[in-house]
Amino acid sequence: MRDIAERVLDTAAAGHAAYADCRVVQRTVQTMAVKNGVVARVALSEDEGIGVRVLVDGAWGFAGSDRTDAASLDATVERALRIARASARVSGKPVRLSAVQPTVAEYSTPLRVDPFGVSLDRKVDLLLRADAGMARVPGITVRECSLEFVRERRYFASSEGARIDQTIVESGGGLDATATSADEVQTRSFPNSFGRHQLCAGWEAIEAMDLDGQAERIAAEAVALLSAEPCPEGVMTVILDGTQAALQVHESCGHPTELDRVLGAEAAYAGTSFLTPDMLGSFRYGSEQVTITADATREQGLGTFGWDDEGVPAQRTVLVDHGMFSGYMSSRETAAEFGWESSGTMRADGWSRIPLIRMTNVNLEPGESSLQEMIATTERGVYLETNRSWSIDDRRLNFQFGTQNGWLIEDGRRTRLVRNPIYSGITPEFWNSCDAVAGPDEWRMWGVVNCGKGEPGQSMHVGHGAAPCRFRNVRVESA
Amino acid sequence: MALRDRDACLSLADAVLSRIPDGSEGEVIVEEVDSALTRYALNAIHQNVAESGLRVRLRLLRDGRTGVADVRGAGEPGIERLVRDAEEARRLARARDDQPPLPDLAWAGLDGAGDGDGRAAWSDSTAQCTPEQRADAVAVVAAAAAARRLEAFGAMETTARQLAISNTRGVRRHARTSIARLTAVVRGADGAGYADRCASAVDSLDPAALAAEVVETASRNQRATAVDHGTYEVILSPYAVAEMLDYLAYMSFSALARQEGRSFVRPGEKMMSDSVTLRDDARDPLVLPFPFDWEGVTTRPVTFVDGGVCRDLVYDTPTALVDGVRSTGHALPMPNTHGPVATHLVMDPGESSRDAMIGDVQRGLYVTRFWYVREVHPLRTVITGMTREGTFLIEDGHIGRPVRDLRFTQSIVDALADVRAISRERSLEVPGEGSATLAPWLHLGHFHFSS
Repeated sequence: MRDIAERVLDTAAAGHAAYADCRVVQRTVQTMAVKNGVVARVALSEDEGIGVRVLVDGAWGFAGSDRTDAASLDATVERALRIARASARVSGKPVRLSAVQPTVAEYSTPLRVDPFGVSLDRKVDLLLRADAGMARVPGITVRECSLEFVRERRYFASSEGARIDQTIVESGGGLDATATSADEVQTRSFPNSFGRHQLCAGWEAIEAMDLDGQAERIAAEAVALLSAEPCPEGVMTVILDGTQAALQVHESCGHPTELDRVLGAEAAYAGTSFLTPDMLGSFRYGSEQVTITADATREQGLGTFGWDDEGVPAQRTVLVDHGMFSGYMSSRETAAEFGWESSGTMRADGWSRIPLIRMTNVNLEPGESSLQEMIATTERGVYLETNRSWSIDDRRLNFQFGTQNGWLIEDGRRTRLVRNPIYSGITPEFWNSCDAVAGPDEWRMWGVVNCGKGEPGQSMHVGHGAAPCRFRNVRVESA
Repeated sequence: MALRDRDACLSLADAVLSRIPDGSEGEVIVEEVDSALTRYALNAIHQNVAESGLRVRLRLLRDGRTGVADVRGAGEPGIERLVRDAEEARRLARARDDQPPLPDLAWAGLDGAGDGDGRAAWSDSTAQCTPEQRADAVAVVAAAAAARRLEAFGAMETTARQLAISNTRGVRRHARTSIARLTAVVRGADGAGYADRCASAVDSLDPAALAAEVVETASRNQRATAVDHGTYEVILSPYAVAEMLDYLAYMSFSALARQEGRSFVRPGEKMMSDSVTLRDDARDPLVLPFPFDWEGVTTRPVTFVDGGVCRDLVYDTPTALVDGVRSTGHALPMPNTHGPVATHLVMDPGESSRDAMIGDVQRGLYVTRFWYVREVHPLRTVITGMTREGTFLIEDGHIGRPVRDLRFTQSIVDALADVRAISRERSLEVPGEGSATLAPWLHLGHFHFSS
């Protein structure tokens, strides 16, 4: 890797790049899935290549290739240089980068049990046990469960002298149980929707999920939802479980605090942001209960690393401080627009794509309440579990979420299951109606594995620490 | 960078097959992509990228067990590892009696020899497009925006891709395809417009026409005001129609969705307006044709809705075996848990025009584009999303003032049961890699905006 990167940087310098960096990436992925009692897929994937980013005449060029022989490396650099020169044909302000101390360092995800050292047999057996648990529930029509393990070695080298070698390991798993009737389809997922929950951790993260132990309970809930009453409609109190709180943070705080969106870089695709720089430090985003951080140093998060893909060290940034909008996630280029230092959130989806500002671990910091206390002090409302649908506008204001489960709360007690709940709102109004967040005992790091952004599209794995939280006067409907 | 030639791809696939263990069956997919994308914001290029890579995928079957491995990069050692990994994965899979077989020549729709390639949308001009050409196309849009004191944002993409499939039952196929796409959002101080163009040949995109359209929409869509949410008569542009149809196909037109009870489709039942005919036709020259699926099976035309009546679904090999029919050639890479997918969606044209439709509306909304559409209830085909970059009130047969973006929550089938008119003119949209949708303007009698 080192030799590849040095040749790339030498070639870029010879081509008069004012700045260049090279990422050499090797990614190994194991996936296995069981569906309806059958091992539906066991797959092993290897992906290797380089990504070269150059600045010429104040404009960017990037090229990625899976060929790493000397001639191909030179051709890839030459392609990046030519693209950068073409960028200058329709150029804006010359790109400036905020300063960063070039680092020579290594980082590896802390693991208790390396998941690649656990036999594939053992992994498949776990899935078959989880499947059997779901199969014990009459009325389940589709059972799916899966595991995924990722090991990515990233070597980053820059023309400024950075040489950073990182190995990131992820372990993920989950199950879905689906029940159907003539006019209804209900799926329950565990521990999270979108197929699985994932962490930067080892096999210990899979064991902690207790997939086989929870399978039967989750399947029973899917069947119960078929005959549950529709969710009541109206303006009421809503309590979100940790997984739904995580997604709410992701969509309504994570994305609008990405500084590239604010500056228009994503305007044609992912959109912009309602959180403009003039609001920094003065806009009340949420209530006193709401503190949200972007923290790439938090243990086990999918956004936990040593350095980002520009060689900036992992760090913690407070985005919302007791309700006050207080920070952005930034890159070297966007931070320089304001004379700031990068907050270290540039991440690339493999070797073939450029780094973009991406969420690291965007966390709703724990409060002082508890789920039990929140329910006990709610006269009428719903407790909502596990995301089912999500949509938000391009400025991240108008949202609508649906969840798989709804539990009616009446006179301080969780009473009965209701189906097809939807809630909607406007971001700052919603977060200002937050009057309780559960404490550290109920706070967990969740993983979102399908965060999309950029053109060409990049799918990023991001973390969200969250706990159950309560919101007043929320519009609730039934799908 | 230039793609390898056909023989090189098939030779690589055959070389992998020659290394699989004795007594095994195998399928090798070689996919090579060379893609470039020039992104612009604030009338200037801000991201400009290219990538090239070749992925080799091996599906190995023996004793009722299937293993899969794939590799991109890593050269010759990677190929050695590919065979070893696929065998390891196969060893760990559990044996099953109902293991779907690899397609043979007859199942793949190849009557004679296995080297049946078929027609695919390809243009040398796209494959050879230079970064300077992409920048010049962007410059046309940026200049048109700047001339009206507006700001342009978007992307210009050119992609060349080839797929070679070879299996131990004699199927050998190869096709290459190209796609060029130019998108633009143009913003003023208080509003924006959107337009895009997609084609196989980059030289048919016409950036100037796109620029004129998007600047016109942006200029009209300034200082929007709110309208009450509720149910409106609507005219949907092809950008919005394509997004809606893509969701309908994704949720409902797969045989697996039907087999698992997730699809609304009841074949033979009339569920939409007489004027609605929806098809998947990978042979249609207007919709970026591609001849076969990820199993090497010839993709056949499938009619989903004919005159408002539900008809057929798309199949891959496993779902076809369950229903006792032939695959329609809509498989994803096997094995998978997703089932078949529609890839070349076509809505048949009507007799109307955009302007005639608008003229027929006393009070309604014109929607340029949907955004962040997600399914809410698949069985009822309920989706939600926002309007974006050009929503206008229609009054007395004319497009009037711009209105603020609205959230809609609507059953697609319910909306398509109240089609007032369909345009003759249609537009090609590309929702994702390997798929395309040909969509008209639609005049719908009702559409629900929830906030």
